[in-house]
Amino acid sequence: MSRLPPLVIDNGTGYTKMGFAGNSEPSFVFPTVIATHQSASSASSNPTNASAGGRAPPPVASKPGHLASKRGIEDLDFFIGDEAVANSKTYNLHYPIRHGMIENWDHMERFWEQSIFKYLRAEPEDHYVCLTEPPLNPPENRENTAEIMFESFNVQGLYIAVQAVLALAASWTSSKVAERTLTGVVIDSGDGVTHTIPVAEGYVIGSSIKHVPIAGRDITYFVQQLLRDRGESAAIPPEDQLRVAEKIKEDYTYVCQDIVKEFKKYDADPYKYFARFSGEHSVTGRKYDLDVGYERFLAPEIFFNPEIFSSDFLTPLPEVVDTVIQTSPIDVRRGLYRNIVLSGGSTMFKDFGKRLQRDVKALVDGRIAGSESRSGGHLRSTGVDVNVISHKRQRYAVWYGGSLMASTPEFYNVSHSRVDYEEYGPSLVRRFSVFGSAV
Amino acid sequence: MILLESHSIIIQDVLTDRFEKPSRMDIQFVDFDHVRFHLSTGESKTQVTLSMGIHCWPDLLKYGAREHLQNEYAGMLLDPSQTEPEYDVSIVIDLEKIPSSQEERTALIHKLSLFKATAMSAPFLAAFEEESALEANYKDPAGASQIDVEQSVDAGELKIVRYREEEAMYIQARHDRVTVIFSTVFKEETDRVYGRVFLQEFVDARRLQSLQSAPQVNYSNREPPLEIRHLPGLKNGEDCGYVTFVLSKRHFANPTQAQSTILRIQLFRDYLHYHIKCSKAYMHSRMRYRVAEFLKVLNRAKPEVAVVERRTATGRTFRTR
Repeated sequence: MSRLPPLVIDNGTGYTKMGFAGNSEPSFVFPTVIATHQSASSASSNPTNASAGGRAPPPVASKPGHLASKRGIEDLDFFIGDEAVANSKTYNLHYPIRHGMIENWDHMERFWEQSIFKYLRAEPEDHYVCLTEPPLNPPENRENTAEIMFESFNVQGLYIAVQAVLALAASWTSSKVAERTLTGVVIDSGDGVTHTIPVAEGYVIGSSIKHVPIAGRDITYFVQQLLRDRGESAAIPPEDQLRVAEKIKEDYTYVCQDIVKEFKKYDADPYKYFARFSGEHSVTGRKYDLDVGYERFLAPEIFFNPEIFSSDFLTPLPEVVDTVIQTSPIDVRRGLYRNIVLSGGSTMFKDFGKRLQRDVKALVDGRIAGSESRSGGHLRSTGVDVNVISHKRQRYAVWYGGSLMASTPEFYNVSHSRVDYEEYGPSLVRRFSVFGSAV
Repeated sequence: MILLESHSIIIQDVLTDRFEKPSRMDIQFVDFDHVRFHLSTGESKTQVTLSMGIHCWPDLLKYGAREHLQNEYAGMLLDPSQTEPEYDVSIVIDLEKIPSSQEERTALIHKLSLFKATAMSAPFLAAFEEESALEANYKDPAGASQIDVEQSVDAGELKIVRYREEEAMYIQARHDRVTVIFSTVFKEETDRVYGRVFLQEFVDARRLQSLQSAPQVNYSNREPPLEIRHLPGLKNGEDCGYVTFVLSKRHFANPTQAQSTILRIQLFRDYLHYHIKCSKAYMHSRMRYRVAEFLKVLNRAKPEVAVVERRTATGRTFRTR
């Protein structure tokens, strides 16, 4: 009997990506949301802060008789993902993951329950499971996860991987990657926030992680604002504006190399560069058209010139990347510059990698030239390689990395098996085991 | 979600997408009980191959699964010689020949997403047929003398479907009923306890007024029931149990009813394990609630630290931060 493929589940703040190892795309991508009948006051189950908010207890037996009639089936009455959103009128929505970390274990346990049985249709007892965690996840959270996976679901084995490391592994598919290292900077940009995470030999350098509060949602707002400023949004029905802005962001935008030149180009020949977007009113079905102009290259520009969008965050992304590398240990900096990896949907803009590479390179070269001149011409630098790697699997890079890792035979050696769990208990998962260079 | 669904959501999603817009794919996934699927496109984007590897295929083959699949997926099922290697059965969907209307497409997709369920239903259908044959030949023993009645004609062939390595399903037709026996093995100590309570509940729940038309359920721990006691190699350890469902005529009187009975009963094991896990999750949430409550009590019980002003010998005070 051949071994069944491991389950790869990447629970993100916004979306959950799930599927089986060995595939190139997740089978399911849906919002990490659960719709229950419970009141919102039961939000946090973390014992430390549970004392603060009054938590409604789970339903208990009221009627005597045999068990079947004793307890209701309220705890089975819930939806997850898209179905949860569809039922949001009659149910309460809960987001069990906040800032990448699991906040409500009750909801998360049930979320997993349904995602495994209803969507993946796998008997967890027959499978290994590969889960992901954000960098700097407290070990208690890992322990809780292991308890649920081993004791509720009786999984055969568990591996909890750091998302950034998986994103690095996913970049190995790119033809630009010569050697398969687990050293590099991961730029992970999703919907809410962009992280820059340095990783050395498979270990995250926690002290140098930086967050940029600009990500997909902000770009959408920016596009919407630009459309409004140019008066284009008059044609769009108000309730569709955000959706249209999102659509334009996804389909028409790209990163330009020089913003001034780009403006000139557009002004010289607007017919060539302005695109037409045609939509349909979602309720009445009325057709409408609008011009898509400067926002095509301005939208992703907020990563590089944040001052055009926000007034409180003003550091461009290339500078953040440079700072992250400069605050990392000196012996890994070269490796980090050589391997800057993109992951997440908001890094999918055309030429995003090229522009980032150019800007980081300019910063580095400037610094080298400065130190050379300060040394009075005595020191010559050999130069530093800067490489930004973008690849085809960027959108679900973390999941894809997990799928890649979990389909290797080595996965079974590094994951924590059921036998070990029974021997050592949940503290087992405190120990990190990194995929070695053998992969 | 109380009942599990019978169709595979992945097949449904992928095919719905591909029917609209054919594109290359190579997807491997599983279903309950060691069923492996492979959905792929061959040389052209419009030729979709769906292959299934199923643990109990030799058993199913014996009870006419191939013929049943042939009927259901006429024109799509591939010959055994053309079946994809490492899988047991393959069907090919030609995206150029699919029906154009939306309803027909949805129906076709639904039928394809029930691929596993259809294969697994062959032994049940065979048993239902046997039952009606037996019923036709059946002579009421009350009217005839004891010698006339032959015991052996009364029971149909005992069908064994080993759908997992350690667990099997036994199906036998009688003149007035079809008996389905599941052997269940629990790997975990905790699961066994839950499972026992659960299965006992099945037996008890039938006493409820509203569930009178449900099939009769028996549960025996350790001892295999009489119908299958003669089989060699049956386990009767502490960790295994036998659940017997007695389906009477009304459960498979017409094809639609038979179909829904089959779809439900073949998911019994998964249903059981799903609910054991749900019960555990429920217990865990109660436990977490309790811990939070206890912590509150503990926090209240903290003795208040009396603030005593401490002085040095010269009468100066410490600075408090």
